[in-house]
Formats: sequence, C-alpha cells, structure tokens
Amino acid sequence: MNRPGWWRLDPCAPFALGPRTLPGRIWTASGCFGYGLHGHDIAAPDLATPYEGIGAVVTKTVTPQPRPGNPMPRLVELPFGAINSIGLENVGFAAFLRDVLPELEARGVPNVVSLAATRPAEFGTMAARLYEVGRGLRHWHGVELNLSCPNVAEGGHDFGSDPATVAACVAAARPHLPDRILVAKLTPNVAQIAPLAAAAAQAGCDAVAAINTVVGLDVDTASGRPVLPRRFGGYSGLAIQPIALAKVDEIVREVGVPVVGVGGIVDARDALKFFALGCVAVQVGTAQMRDPFAAARLAAELRR
Amino acid sequence: MGPLGAAPRPPAATWDLAGRVVANGPVSQGLRVLDVELPRAIDFLPGQFAMLNLTGPARLVFRRPFSILATAGRTISFLYRAIGRGTSLMAGLAPGAAVECLAPLGQPFPAPAAATPPVLILAGGVGLPPLYAWFARYRRPADLACFGGRDLDDVPWDLVPPPWQVSVDRLDGAAARSVFHGLVTELALACVGEPGDATPRLVLACGPTPLLRAAARLARERGWPCRVSLEEHMGCGYGVCKGCVVPVRDPGPPGWRHATSCTEGPVFDAALIDWDRFGHAAAGGPA
Ligand SMILES: Cc1cc2nc3c(=O)[nH]c(=O)nc-3n(C[C@H](O)[C@H](O)[C@H](O)COP(=O)(O)OP(=O)(O)OC[C@H]3O[C@@H](n4cnc5c(N)ncnc54)[C@H](O)[C@@H]3O)c2cc1C
Ligand SMILES: Cc1cc2nc3c(=O)[nH]c(=O)nc-3n(C[C@H](O)[C@H](O)[C@H](O)COP(=O)(O)O)c2cc1C
Ligand code: FES
Repeated sequence: MNRPGWWRLDPCAPFALGPRTLPGRIWTASGCFGYGLHGHDIAAPDLATPYEGIGAVVTKTVTPQPRPGNPMPRLVELPFGAINSIGLENVGFAAFLRDVLPELEARGVPNVVSLAATRPAEFGTMAARLYEVGRGLRHWHGVELNLSCPNVAEGGHDFGSDPATVAACVAAARPHLPDRILVAKLTPNVAQIAPLAAAAAQAGCDAVAAINTVVGLDVDTASGRPVLPRRFGGYSGLAIQPIALAKVDEIVREVGVPVVGVGGIVDARDALKFFALGCVAVQVGTAQMRDPFAAARLAAELRR
Repeated sequence: MGPLGAAPRPPAATWDLAGRVVANGPVSQGLRVLDVELPRAIDFLPGQFAMLNLTGPARLVFRRPFSILATAGRTISFLYRAIGRGTSLMAGLAPGAAVECLAPLGQPFPAPAAATPPVLILAGGVGLPPLYAWFARYRRPADLACFGGRDLDDVPWDLVPPPWQVSVDRLDGAAARSVFHGLVTELALACVGEPGDATPRLVLACGPTPLLRAAARLARERGWPCRVSLEEHMGCGYGVCKGCVVPVRDPGPPGWRHATSCTEGPVFDAALIDWDRFGHAAAGGPA
C-alpha cells in the first residue's frame, strides 16, 4: 500500500495515553487473540512473532467467576464478517491473576486487561485487586471495561446503553488505576453513542474504544431456525466497518475524548480510515482470528 | 510415557506460510486431494491439522481446518470433500493458485510405544487423513485399519490399499477387491471378533460423529482405550477465539468443562468426552 501524504504517525512508536506511555498504536481486540499467550509458537517467513510491532493485546474479557460460555455453534461466518456467541467463556478473575497475568509479564506481552462485571461496583473491586497484583508489572498497561453485558443490579439491561451506568462503571474503576489507562469500550447498539462517550469521559476514562459487536442474527433456511442457539450474537468483521467509522466520527466530533477505533479493520488501509478520523489507536479483531499476523503485518505496513 | 505411547507433545512450531497449489484432483467420486507447495518443509505428527484459506477476493473470513494427509519435502497434502462454500472454492483451485496455510496445529494421535496394544483404526470418509498418516508412519504387523466409504465410487482406493480393510454403506456393483457391505464399525467388529476372546486394542477413530460415538461405545464395552479426532467447527484454529469447544468430563464441579478443540484436540481420549452433551446445546450463562 502507498502511504498517503497526510500519514505522519509511527504506529509502532511509544505514545502517551492518559497517565501512561503505550508501546504502540496497533492493538489486538478483546476476545480475538485469547489472553495474548497463543502467538509464541507461531512463526512466519516475514515476521518472527505475531507480537512484532503490537502496542497492546487487549485480553479476552475476564469476569469475576469463571464462565463456561455458550453452547456450540458459537460462530456464524457470513460473506464479509461473522456473528459470534461465545458467551464470555473465560477462566475467571482469580485464575487470570494467578496464571495469565504473570505469564504475559514474563513473555513481555504489552497488555490491557478487559473486565466485565454484573454490577458497577464490581468494576471497582476488580480494578483495585488487579492493581494490587499488577502495580509492579511493566507490561500491564491498564484496563478496558467491556460494558456490553447485562447489568444484574439494573434488572439485566445492558450496562453499555445507559450513560449514567457507563459513568458509574468508569467512576468505580478510576480511583484504583492511578498510573494505568482506563478505557471504556462502547456498544454501537444505541441510536447515539456520543452521550455514552461523554459520560465515560466525564467519569474519568482516558479513552473510549468504539465499537463492540453489532447485534445480529442469522437464520438457517433449511430448518427455518436461527443458527445460533441463543438466536442473537455479535456481528463483527469488515461488514461493520462503516458502522464503526460512523460511531467513531460521532464521538470525535461531539465529545473529543481520545478514541481507540475497532470494527472491521482487516488491513492497513482500513486502519488509516480510523486514524484519519482522529483515533489515537486501533484494534484488530476478527481479522486477527483468521491471521495471527494480521495486526503485526498491518503495523509493519503503516510504519514509516 | 504411558502404555498408549508418547503423551501428546505440544505441537512443533507452527508456521504461517503462503503456499501454491501443485495438484488438485479427484481420488474418488466425492473425495479430492490438494497438494500445496510451501516455502519451507514443516514437521507434523499424524492427527495434526492445518488452517487453509484462499487469497484475493475469494479469501474467506475464517480459514478452514483440514487434517494433514502427508508431507513430502515442501509439499503438504490434504484429502477433502466439497461440502460448502470454502471447500467448493478449494475444488476450483488450479495449479499455481495461492493458498494460505497455518500448520501444523493441534494434538496428534499417540505414537505407538513398546507397550501400546495393537491399534484398531476406524476411518470414515474425509476422516481418513489423520489415520492414513498414522498407519503410514507407525504401522506394526498386528495393527488393523478399516476405512468406510459411502459406496464403491466414493472409496479412494489408492489411499487404502491392503492391508486396509474397506467397507461401504451401499454396495452397488462389483469391487476389484474384497469389500465389506455395512458400517465401518461392523467391519471392525468382524475383524476383532467377540468380546472376551479378542486381544486388547487401542481404538483410533476419525469421521462423522455417529462413527465416533460407535467407536467410543465399542471401546468402552470392551474396556479398550480409544482416541477420536473431532471435527468441531473452528474459527481461528490456534486457540484464541473459543469458537470450537467440546464438552469434556472434569473432576471439579460441575463435572464437565469446555475443552478448546483446536489446541487441546482435535484428538481426544474418547472416555473424557461428555458424549451426552456433545453435539447438543450445552449449558451456559447469560450471553
Ligand atoms: C481438525 C479438523 C480436521 C478436518 N479435516 C478435514 C479433512 O481432512 N478433510 C475434509 O474434507 N474436511 C475436514 N474437516 C472439515 C472441514 O473443515 C469442513 O468441511 C470445512 O470447514 C467446510 O467448509 P466449507 O466452507 O466448505 O463449508 P461451509 O459452507 O462453512 O459449511 C458447509 C457445511 O459444513 C458444515 N461445517 C462447516 N465447518 C465445519 C467443520 N469444521 N466441521 C464439520 N462441519 C463443518 C457446516 O455446518 C455446513 O453444514 C476438518 C475439520 C476439523 C475441525
Ligand atoms: C469471537 C469474538 C469474541 C469476542 N470477545 C469479546 C470480548 O470478550 N470482550 C469484548 O469486549 N469484545 C469482544 N469481541 C468484540 C471485539 O473485540 C471487537 O470489538 C469486534 O469484533 C469488532 O471488531 P472486528 O470487526 O475487528 O472484529 C469479540 C469478537 C469476536 C469476533
Ligand atoms: S478455533 Fe478458535 S479457539 Fe479453537
């Protein structure tokens, strides 16, 4: 790809975000590169590891308790994307702190830990505990709040669609992360995303990540039933890129909080669109599942 | 080392390579072999698989998993059946076409050790590759291999020469060699004899789910160990998406857990699989 004239950033150079300096601007998206520990056995002729040039791996979302996740099938492939219903399968917060976080540090994987909870206050408890365990770690850079889960305290409504709840979650975590970044990951499944971003910014987050998956459904025409056992899933991949760009643009122009762009980024040209709108960093999700070197190759291409 | 042979070892370093098709053609009415030349040779163990994709506009959102049939120098071979979008596009690849190949991946079938009992192989249709590779690499005189096809035209005869035994679901003509009419599990039973008087065997199976269930049942009834290769749907193939899980028994509560098929499998101890939950909607929390 020919890099356009306006492109001046080195995406693999350290940059300041909130209280911290991150190693680079090309990240992998939550849930699409595991906990960041599966790339070490993989090599390619052009790149020694899938981590080359990556600014941060955002881990699979970790919940207070382990979760077995949803029944199979969990993925539906469509021509330009996929619908997933993984159900936040994860090892749970305690096992994550014990087994995963030290391993990320030992292997030098720059990481941001994605957290989900069922009550706003729980984000505070988790952030505090994470900081207690992780404050001495060099490669742990902060937290991304996955706000697209049901809020038990509010009768199961999505956390992410109500500005006051978004603010409560961010405010609960913020005081416990003095020198780490706090990112609020926003859902696109709302008419207007700017109020959510504004609430997160006012509550003290360093950036918002936009977007999480778009609610989607596919039907098996042979049986006449939805393909996924839980009917709905999260739509991701190239197909949602225009939605992500529109949401990012709305936030950048109306709120001005730093935005980490995510949604349908497959190659360097896609990432450039998000940077052109003002994103400070981008995340590669579905494309990283297909290609362990997707983010690393994208970073190499955008490097000056 | 246990009596079943070397414990599955972590896969050799996996390579993400840009390959070129050198040959792609039918080996029976329904089955095809794809030979891909890679920029370097890779080591694999029988049972390991590759994630393949096309390039350019035909590139699929997810790669597709295929067991490795064989390698020779820098050439890697696959046996496949065109059943959907990806495999149909694959069938149209001409020599010279580009193929993305991430391999090898996953846990292999056990290699035999001195104490390993003779194996009983059950391979059904496109489940042949990992067991073809096993038999080609490790075969000992007392090992038995059975392949089941749909009908005579479906059998890739050159890949299953004697001592492979062959069964067909539908016998609709005359075969050039002796063929069993019936299910491959029935053929296997005919080969090993009645319970009680048979020598213990290690059962290795790959194929459609009913075959795997039947192989697991056969082994369980006789108290034999059994390894099966599961063809669970996959997204990434390298452990990062959790799109490929299989319910397995677990000592802790609630008595089962989801194993990640692409990294903990695709070869599993059949006794560990929770067959009641397998293939059905298992329990899960709110999405
Ligand atoms: C470890 C492993 C090894 C495999 N080895 C081989 C092999 O050696 N040769 C071979 O021909 N096939 C093999 N498969 C199955 C192969 O991956 C599928 O046939 C292929 O992914 C289908 O792709 P498609 O685009 O043609 O089908 P799609 O259009 O995606 O689907 C067509 C049909 O196939 C089903 N399907 C999709 N993916 C899978 C899957 N992974 N397993 C089973 N059914 C599926 C769909 O539900 C649908 O009914 C293997 C699968 C796994 C997990
Ligand atoms: C299989 C899969 C699992 C995901 N898991 C999570 C998750 O655990 N937490 C989260 O915040 N987002 C999760 N996401 C959403 C992605 O991080 C990302 O926001 C979304 O997929 C859009 O980006 P993409 O189009 O590049 O995939 C997941 C997406 C996929 C495809
Ligand atoms: S296919 Fe992604 S984790 Fe197994």
